[in-house]
Amino acid sequence: MSSVHVPAGTEAYIPVFTGKTQAELETIIKRYPTKQGALLPALWLVQRERGWISDRNMTEVAEVLGVTPAHVKGVVTFYTMYHQHPVGRHFVQVCTTSPCNLCGAEDVVRALVQETGAGELGATSPDGRWTVIEVECLGACGFATPILIDDDFIESVTPDKVPGLVKRYG
Amino acid sequence: MADGLITLTIDDTPVSVPPGTLLIEAAKQVGVLVPHYCYHPGLPVAGVCRMCLVHVEKQPKLAIACATQAADGMVVHTQAPEAKTARQSVLEFLLINHPLDCPICDQAGECELQDFVFQEGRAGTRYGEYAKRFNPVEDFGPDVLYVPNRCILCTRCVRFMDDVAQEPVLNVSERGDRAFIGVHPEGRLDHAWAGNVVDLCPVGSLLSKDFLHKARAWELDKTASVCTGCSQGCNVTLDLRDSTVVRVRPRPNLDVNRYFICDHGRANYRWMNRADRIEAPLVRDGGTLRAADWDEALARVRALLSGASGKAVTIASPRASTEALYLARRMLSRFDWTGGFQLVMGEVAPLAGVPNLALRAERAPNGTGAELLGYSPDVGSVLQAAQGAAVVVLLDEAEVPVQTAGALLYAGTVLPEHARHAEVVLPLANMAEEDGTFVNRDGRVQRYFQAKPAPGMARPAWWALGELVAELDGASQPESAESVFEALAEAVDGFAGLSYGALGLNGRKVRAGAGVPA
Amino acid sequence: MGYPHKSHPKETVVLSKYFGDAEARSLRGWKKRGGYESLEQALAMDPSAVTEAIKASGLRGRGGAGFPTGLKWSFMPKEKKGPHYLCVNADESEPGTFKDREIMRWTPHALLEGAAIAAHAIRAEIGYIYIRGEFTEPWAIMEQALAEANTAKLFGEIRLYLHRGAGAYICGEETAMMNSIEGKRGNPRIKPPFPAAAGVFGRPTTINNVETLAAVPHILKHGAEWHKKLCLSNPKSVGTKLFSVCGHIAKPGNYEVTLGFPLKDLLHDLAGGMRPGRTLKGCIPGGSSVPILNREEAESTLLDYEGCVEKGTMLGSGGVIVFDDSADMVYQIMRLARFYAHESCAQCTQCREGTAWTTKILERILAGQGKTSDLDLLLELSENMTGKTICVLSDSCAAPIVSGIKKFRSEFEAYIAGKKRPVAA
Repeated sequence: MSSVHVPAGTEAYIPVFTGKTQAELETIIKRYPTKQGALLPALWLVQRERGWISDRNMTEVAEVLGVTPAHVKGVVTFYTMYHQHPVGRHFVQVCTTSPCNLCGAEDVVRALVQETGAGELGATSPDGRWTVIEVECLGACGFATPILIDDDFIESVTPDKVPGLVKRYG
Repeated sequence: MADGLITLTIDDTPVSVPPGTLLIEAAKQVGVLVPHYCYHPGLPVAGVCRMCLVHVEKQPKLAIACATQAADGMVVHTQAPEAKTARQSVLEFLLINHPLDCPICDQAGECELQDFVFQEGRAGTRYGEYAKRFNPVEDFGPDVLYVPNRCILCTRCVRFMDDVAQEPVLNVSERGDRAFIGVHPEGRLDHAWAGNVVDLCPVGSLLSKDFLHKARAWELDKTASVCTGCSQGCNVTLDLRDSTVVRVRPRPNLDVNRYFICDHGRANYRWMNRADRIEAPLVRDGGTLRAADWDEALARVRALLSGASGKAVTIASPRASTEALYLARRMLSRFDWTGGFQLVMGEVAPLAGVPNLALRAERAPNGTGAELLGYSPDVGSVLQAAQGAAVVVLLDEAEVPVQTAGALLYAGTVLPEHARHAEVVLPLANMAEEDGTFVNRDGRVQRYFQAKPAPGMARPAWWALGELVAELDGASQPESAESVFEALAEAVDGFAGLSYGALGLNGRKVRAGAGVPA
Repeated sequence: MGYPHKSHPKETVVLSKYFGDAEARSLRGWKKRGGYESLEQALAMDPSAVTEAIKASGLRGRGGAGFPTGLKWSFMPKEKKGPHYLCVNADESEPGTFKDREIMRWTPHALLEGAAIAAHAIRAEIGYIYIRGEFTEPWAIMEQALAEANTAKLFGEIRLYLHRGAGAYICGEETAMMNSIEGKRGNPRIKPPFPAAAGVFGRPTTINNVETLAAVPHILKHGAEWHKKLCLSNPKSVGTKLFSVCGHIAKPGNYEVTLGFPLKDLLHDLAGGMRPGRTLKGCIPGGSSVPILNREEAESTLLDYEGCVEKGTMLGSGGVIVFDDSADMVYQIMRLARFYAHESCAQCTQCREGTAWTTKILERILAGQGKTSDLDLLLELSENMTGKTICVLSDSCAAPIVSGIKKFRSEFEAYIAGKKRPVAA
């Protein structure tokens, strides 16, 4: 297999899968008949530890699971919840698909983009605290508008509730 | 069914095939080419392009011919109106983002998108109003460029690297109409067989840097040939523009290289265009070589041979044709003969997904042919014998420095330094300028065909040496490489029963256990 | 129960009995409520007998396809020649649908019990519960419940694992799910081979929806006959179904009714009817991938598989999206097309390019730049996107477009004629 060319002059890379995280991964690997089966879980672990998944992280995951970096990258770019670049301290996902759209989801988006200072969708606020994006159906259509702030799933958000939410997460 | 075959009807024509045959292959047998992109007989089936939709009676939906197995009694209509409409819509969908690059795209003239749009597509687009998706060109590696805008996401390249090269360095990145073929930044497309993705790409998305903007497809003359890069003997097609070889592509041979060649062989054609050729026969006159005509040169050779006796040595290039090797020995039949050749060795690079296919260590196409004809790979000892030989014939071997007390005859394409003390120099055609055969490492004898004219007065070895040998035998001058091969087949044990007709375009193996002729 | 509302008297409360009851989440609480008795019963039965019981009950898949569950289980090899797998589809991403989330976060053990029974019936030693990445709360609750159940060693030889998705609607398609579990892009596979022959990791596999599996313990407990009697219309559609009502409605939530229930009553009675001052304009009964019904059709539809087909739509996942007279149908249909364009995996030409193209045409119409020929173009593209691809995401994009133009054509024409103010989409 052609060797991985690590560009010269980069700082030493600190692996994700050491110690406890490595032990976690090893437990997960046992659940699947192939190491590759643990790829999505492994990527979640990287994102938990580092906040996002870099190309170098992908190489590490590839080595640990016996697949190629190109394969890992193909997977990372397919699934929209994996961040391919750093995001704000708080990552906000707002559903705007039709059922929520009918219930004012776009107003919630506007309120969030403004209140967090992010300014526009996908951008990180100048203070580095917030990134807000629109996402597709979050599976809580009867509790419009649902949003995720990091791992917190918050139901029934309306524009008037936004300032309080943003303050709470600060 | 008789002999295990099943019978189905395709476009009102019955065809019998083994059970499990894909419809797209069964259709080929009755001369029907079902339009397709992602399907390729050398790759695992993907079924993603949706281009090969055909109507199968009794099935509620159109079926993709590349993934549907023929069944007994099946009735297939490739030209049914709903199938044609569906295929036309696939073409329309492909063209909404595909740029109108034909005037500047290398693939024009050999582009499967052009071909099927011409055949079945709409005359105009209904997508005139929006910007097309744009991504910049990417350099994937040593020879491959990727033009994302032209990509139709057939994934042939990804499947080739995954399953045939077994080095998954290409992926599909992103999703939906944002998708493109990607590499990981820390990986390059430098696998020894990566260049095949360029051939496999149906459109001008994956391009060879070597061939970029060199020629238009319709300017090319195509000739069947055999790769000279190593002893694997991959079948190739030489593409020439105005008598210059500009590209080498694989030619299918299911027993040797299937549909692929390695990058080393792909790049191994520039020597065919060398300009520093010997263009006239040369004879020694006093202390120097001067130009002569063929009659004079051959007369000088005859005189030399008849005036000598004892040991004679042929040192041949393992790139010489079997016919040439045969003649370069036969012409010395009156002598105590030794023959030798030098093999340059290199790294082996297998194509993991195909059995018995690799860039071989022996970097010459006809080492096996030479051995079957009695030449020894131990060139060292043959050089020793040459020192005391009465006559030494050097056959197009430019790298082996020969020293002899006897007469040196050089027949070749270029004139190396050490051949300047030859008595006679005969200008030969190179492999692209003649018909001939090579024997690959598995003993397969394969034909190659003349692709361009030889320069100046250069002639194929079968002609130049053939005349000399004919005289010895009291026979008539051979009229073609074929007649030399016929004589060879009669005289050399392993080649019994072979002929150019029998070899066809994909070759035949020598008899097992073939020995060396007397 | 229409959590967060109290159960309506016209509901048939089976799966939703403990929605809102936090105690039901714990193993102790679940057992107190009669949980895991069916599993015990099933583990003592021959796997084929369990399959026969489910077959006899008439249970059909609740994820959207409505395929008879017992029949699906019977496709698995009876002779074990290696590992078998169960995959539980908890990827719930169909717009309008939010029932599996409730089952998992209120009655996680119901799902675990149903999954274990299914695994036993299909002779699977391993089951992967594929939960979409965004369901952080259900994930945590399922994790806890699974830990409890494992500690109590309830599943015998069967091992159930949670597997987290990462943001892809297409992974709710069963073959795409299998690829995702294998650590690949979530691309649907061409069939054959079918999952029961060669599924996840190349092994015989069955994929079932959360709601389907949650019904299994009840069927074993009360019997196939009990299940078959839960029928208001066509005998081929039996049992209860959670309908996720959302959009322009007074009391959005999940409502559990017997199949064959009138959609009119679900909307105007159980779910509280329209918002003040509003009238019903249209309704999608089964998640965004099924054709839209106009008011007349919606108010005369019986909610079962056959009843919906009769009205030119499908029961699907039972995600009931309600549009009142204030809804901009063109905008909402554009938003749905955009959803499908985001989610297309990119394999098939018609889907990859068609979902994006139709979205662009709809955006252009909304922006006031539509042409009369655009409607015919949309219909033709939709036809070309239907029935010709590996999976039905392409068809699903076409469904709201075709039904939308057919039934709300005047709204499209208003934009095209410049009678409506352009909207930036």
